Amino acid sequence: MRKIKLLLKHAFLMISSLICLFPFYWMVVGATNLSKDITKGTLWFGAEFMNNFRAVQETADIFQAVLNTATITIVQVPLALLICSMAGYGFEKYPSKTRNKLFNVFLLTMMIPFAAIMIPLFNFVFDVGLIDTKMSVIVAALSNTFLIFFFRQSFKALPNEMIEAARIDGASEIGIFFRIAMPPMKSTFAAGFIYAFMKEWNNYLWPLLTLQSSENRTLTLFLSSISSAYYVDYGQILVSVVIATLPTILIFMTMQKHFVSGILGASK
Amino acid sequence: MKKRLGLLLATGMLSFSMILAGCGNSSKESGANGAGGASGAAETNDEAATEETQKITVWAWDDNFNVAVMKTAAEYYKKLNPDANVEIEVISNSKEDIYKKLQTGLASGGKSLPDICLIEDYSIYQYLNSYSKYFYPLNDDVDYSQFSPYKVEVMTYNDKAYGIPFDAGVTGLFYRADYLEQAGFTAADLEDITWDRFIEIGKQVEEQTGVKMTVANGTNYSSLFRTMMQSAGAWYCDSNGELTITNNEVLKESLETIKKMRDAGIILECADDSTLAGAINDGTTASVINAAWRVSTIKAEPEQSGKWAVASTPRLNNANSVNASNTGGSSWYVLDNGQDKGAIVDFLKAVYAGDIDFYSDILVNQGAVGTYLPAQEGKAYQTEDEFFGGQKVFAEFASWLPEVPSVMYGKNVPESNTAVNTALFSYLQGDITVEEALTQAEDQLKNQIQ
Amino acid sequence: MKKTQNTVNYNKYGWFFISFAMLAFILFTLYPMIESLSLSFKVLRDGEYVFGGLTNIKRLLGDKIFHKTIGNTFLFLAVQAPLMLMLALVYATILNAPKLRFRTFYRTAIFVPCVTSLVAYSVLFKLMFANDGIINYLLVNLHLIEAPIFFLNDPFWARVVIILAMTWRWTGYNMMFYLAALQNIPAETYEAARVDGANAVQTLFKITIPQLKPIILLTTIMTTNGTLQLFDEPMNITGGGPAEMTTTMSQYIYNNAFVYAPNFGYSVSMSYVIVTLVALLAFVQFKVGKD
Repeated sequence: MRKIKLLLKHAFLMISSLICLFPFYWMVVGATNLSKDITKGTLWFGAEFMNNFRAVQETADIFQAVLNTATITIVQVPLALLICSMAGYGFEKYPSKTRNKLFNVFLLTMMIPFAAIMIPLFNFVFDVGLIDTKMSVIVAALSNTFLIFFFRQSFKALPNEMIEAARIDGASEIGIFFRIAMPPMKSTFAAGFIYAFMKEWNNYLWPLLTLQSSENRTLTLFLSSISSAYYVDYGQILVSVVIATLPTILIFMTMQKHFVSGILGASK
Repeated sequence: MKKRLGLLLATGMLSFSMILAGCGNSSKESGANGAGGASGAAETNDEAATEETQKITVWAWDDNFNVAVMKTAAEYYKKLNPDANVEIEVISNSKEDIYKKLQTGLASGGKSLPDICLIEDYSIYQYLNSYSKYFYPLNDDVDYSQFSPYKVEVMTYNDKAYGIPFDAGVTGLFYRADYLEQAGFTAADLEDITWDRFIEIGKQVEEQTGVKMTVANGTNYSSLFRTMMQSAGAWYCDSNGELTITNNEVLKESLETIKKMRDAGIILECADDSTLAGAINDGTTASVINAAWRVSTIKAEPEQSGKWAVASTPRLNNANSVNASNTGGSSWYVLDNGQDKGAIVDFLKAVYAGDIDFYSDILVNQGAVGTYLPAQEGKAYQTEDEFFGGQKVFAEFASWLPEVPSVMYGKNVPESNTAVNTALFSYLQGDITVEEALTQAEDQLKNQIQ
Repeated sequence: MKKTQNTVNYNKYGWFFISFAMLAFILFTLYPMIESLSLSFKVLRDGEYVFGGLTNIKRLLGDKIFHKTIGNTFLFLAVQAPLMLMLALVYATILNAPKLRFRTFYRTAIFVPCVTSLVAYSVLFKLMFANDGIINYLLVNLHLIEAPIFFLNDPFWARVVIILAMTWRWTGYNMMFYLAALQNIPAETYEAARVDGANAVQTLFKITIPQLKPIILLTTIMTTNGTLQLFDEPMNITGGGPAEMTTTMSQYIYNNAFVYAPNFGYSVSMSYVIVTLVALLAFVQFKVGKD
């Protein structure tokens, strides 16, 4: 009885995993096939990977796009993590009524669709001379309400006694944050990192509006651009998609252990 | 206490504004090409003027089609004018993305716009209607009689013509000659037919070969009924922009024809363009009605070489309907940001309104059928294509081009597409009559268009 | 005296720690938000946005398509959100057994869909659910159906496909939250329940769900927010069709901003309707969650 139950469990999980992984398999298979075979529904590897890859390179510079996205992400994510973790810490460890009200304002704005603030934001960024710079993409997402919320929840687990003890030892407030509060939060930062990384790596509408020149084009814009031709070449698209998705999967694989315990910290 | 607090905040703000300032500087190098019209751009314009070469930025979609064409045009201009100090930069984004950028830039008061932008014929009127002051009219510079009249009609607003007409969306009936032969039909049997005849042929083709006569996007028939409508010079609205849906006999016949085709079971309904392309390539359809650019999809399957042919578009029973129509197509527009347009206009005129070799080049390499009428004298149009059994495919398209009836597309093409398509859906399901469908579409549109 | 001095001091640091986020928030969220609020009262005339009073609000009240999209969105919310959250909870409870073999593999596999590229996933879903796609092929060959279903052309099935796609993409993401929270429940609690003779379903409802209440609340609010802003799936898989049966509020806002004759003022007005709805729902969910 027990064995059958276990077997059923595994069968259920196995089928679910296959369903979840199938698109990835298909994506890689597609990257090795001709467009016409992909639309005909082929499910096995072909020999066209290099041709597709070459065709992508000939139409546009995909590596420039990877480089741009990587640059933006590498600068933006750590900065956002620092700023949001500081804010989360500030809201949690220095309680005040005014700041709590402010926090509620933050939460409320989380629900506004980006499309609603896009035009004024575009205007503002243009007027301060940031249009068509990577910096315009970086600064717009520095304050992320979900991250602040997430860090605030996580800092709840940090005992106030530890902070008090450090104060008695004469540590400065800023020193306490960096030396006492941050180190035990490794997994929280890992979880936040995955969240922020995914968000920035796949960021689409805002970079589209603010980045103008070809040299600044990001991966998502590149993908969107090659998918809108009169003659759509799915082989080329899937090669690009594989290149674009690989980093997110690798990052998740390496950090997934921390990711789970990071959420754990926040959900206490 | 307040003072200290302020001091602390100021430190934060200062470091922040330093980041901002740092980037502001770097933006001047890369931002100059945006050549925005309003505020912040004043100093960048000065910089551009002192530079030796003038940079012309172009927004276009499709790297293998429009973008490649514009790059070719730049090369031709260099050959024609080796001394001209211009550099043409083509920025490639998807069509939808370009519209987003354009709409945002225009809504922000003409900020950060390109010098030249590719815009679809169906969409241009909504831009001219709302933002004509940001577009630069070319009727003083360009001889529009040299272009297909129906293309010029589309870009005329308040008696001014904007833009340079580019590719034609002239439609044709691409068909599998082998399937039709099997069912007992020759090329002559498909030339200049009505849709009713098309349906009859279709039934026989399916009987004899088991293959569906034609293929369409089952979630969106708008491309098909637009093609039918324009073949009779009709549209969603009249030349004054007033909606003509309920009183539109041509639209009514178009919808009825689609229902007839569907009821006869001759349409293979696909969910979107990827499955439609798949159907063409794996031989599950005997024909497809589309513009010249469909050639690249068809040619993607080399095994079908020699099996395809092209005939004129079927017509409606309506007396005005001819065997020529149009779907899609776009043109180049010059954005007005207050700067001197001399170099830009000179470039467009020299290449797009004068160079026949250029048109032959893009026809051969990109399969782009231009709408500059003298270009059809070019040799490239007379090439026999083995893939189409030696047929002079592009000469055929060029011969239909002057026949395409002119219509004014108006500013609400996307809304109208959706509204009519939604109503057609209920009609095809048999839930409502065609009259009810038209009323439903018109009601919806009246509510939407204000 | 000294104590007050200290709290003042701390208060100052409190502001310092949030100052960077606050500044970014004011510049890139709050300021554009206030500006856009004024845009919602404006209409486009001759290329300029001018004050139009309540024009947009009036239009919104009479716009049948907008009302239809609200209906569609809430249908997705009502059907998909509970389904997905339940499924996520089931996965999490099964995978919480520390001795289960391959559990890291299963966990990774089920989570990983949320990191896929939208482009790949939408093309794939369209191909799979095509009339001659693999799903129809399987269903026909297993004799579950006689003729292929026209999934994306059928109002009912198109909605089903959207729900399946959303579930595929986000179940694993929510599962992770539950999995993390489950580790907080001591094993002894379950042990005690087993001794008392509780079966799996009873354990789920008597122990797991009550213990996970805070995290269920969090995921519910996240999902509500996500679903009410639903855009990617209908836009890329069904294009909102057939006949606007899968068009969502966000998609309609997008169409009015970018596809139809330009009207940002109207788009913004509709956005604020979404904000109000989400805020109301979040408020209700908080209240229910607290009880």
